[in-house]
Amino acid sequence: MATDPMSVDSSAMEPPAPPTNATDEPKYGGFTRFEIELEFVQSLANPQYLNHLASRKLLTNPAFIAYLDYLHYWSRPPYLKYLTYPGPTLKSLELLQQEKFRQEIISPDLVQALIMEGMRAGVEWHRDG
Amino acid sequence: MDKYLDARFERVEKALAILIDSIAKFNPSEKLADDLATADRQLSKSLQELERHQNNHARIQQLRADTAALDAQTKDTISALWGMRKEVKNTATTTYPPTGPKYGFTTAELLNYARRISRNTLPPPGITNGVDMNTTSSFVASAASPFSGGGVKEELPSQDAQTPNANASFNNGNTPAPTTAPTPTANGQPANNASFASNATELPAHLKPYVNPTEGGIFLPWPTEDTIRSGALASYQQLVNNGINPKGYDPEEEEKRKAEEELARKEAEEQARLEREAQEKRVREERERLARERERARQEEARRGNTVGGVSGSPTTGGDMQKKKQFTFLGGDDDDDEDDE
Repeated sequence: MATDPMSVDSSAMEPPAPPTNATDEPKYGGFTRFEIELEFVQSLANPQYLNHLASRKLLTNPAFIAYLDYLHYWSRPPYLKYLTYPGPTLKSLELLQQEKFRQEIISPDLVQALIMEGMRAGVEWHRDG
Repeated sequence: MDKYLDARFERVEKALAILIDSIAKFNPSEKLADDLATADRQLSKSLQELERHQNNHARIQQLRADTAALDAQTKDTISALWGMRKEVKNTATTTYPPTGPKYGFTTAELLNYARRISRNTLPPPGITNGVDMNTTSSFVASAASPFSGGGVKEELPSQDAQTPNANASFNNGNTPAPTTAPTPTANGQPANNASFASNATELPAHLKPYVNPTEGGIFLPWPTEDTIRSGALASYQQLVNNGINPKGYDPEEEEKRKAEEELARKEAEEQARLEREAQEKRVREERERLARERERARQEEARRGNTVGGVSGSPTTGGDMQKKKQFTFLGGDDDDDEDDE
């Protein structure tokens, strides 16, 4: 969604601090950076959203790719426990590191396949458990 | 042992020789014969002892051999072990890539997390996304079987080719594109009607959602488009679209600020209104006071005019006085004329 001009050499930022009770955090449109990045990284779990990003040519933008790499901090504590869609989110983060995936997610067939796979995995993982 | 035996032999030989000698001298003696017999018995005993000795010796030999064999075996085993150990140590083992850092957590944290994510990771009961939960068949196979879609198993006799297709269309209607998608015509009303007519236990498609609320529901293990569209990022984009720099902008704060401004403005208006009213009141009082004063002055003048009577002598003044007198009589119009003056 972000349309801010992005440059490759934008300085690498530290991950935002996990939420505390402090209220003096800078707000972006009423939300903290933590909230916005959490929502974004979870949106990546949605194949259609990935397709949308690809159609905006964001997945070929080096700065955006660097941002995806930066978002890997969500796979570590203390951030990990805030993911409410942990499986698909982390899988998407990993897949997005592959250039081939970034190129092919523009294809509706792949999106459809991912959706079917996700829906099936969503109900099958607990079938025998 | 040899000496022992030799001594016995010698004794037997001696006894025998003495006996033979005595016999040869034709002087046999019973005592000599007894000696021989004793010597012979002792020899036999010695021979038995010898046998036992030999047996023991053989046994010792055998045991020694056994010991040696066992020693050799032990040595072999140890050397094999050593060799094995060396081999094991020299074996090139597969080095697995590090499995990543490990993080500690408590059971309470884990359970909390599980409770928090369960809403998004476990489909509600009855929703199967078209997967047949009663068998281990794959998704494609279950999509192909007509009566397993909506989470309810329906016992239906097999029908002609068209009707199962129609059932499939409303059982799996919301699961996107099953691989064996029914033809579009199967979705049509006639097909459904046919199914209804041909099998009385099957509900028509439009009634199914009332019976089973999860009919055709799907479960997605990720945020849906609606969720994304109504989230923080969307409102952020909205701000950008409106030309507001979202950095440091907080709609809540903004709202609060506006409300405060509104309040301040209202207060200021109220203040101004009060002041205006006070002002008006003052002006009115002043006017009334002036009017009263003029009235008093006029009455004074009139009284003076009556007593002095045309002192001024000027006709205008006289006319004016008359008019005023006249107005005094008329009373009610008095104020208007005062204003006109």
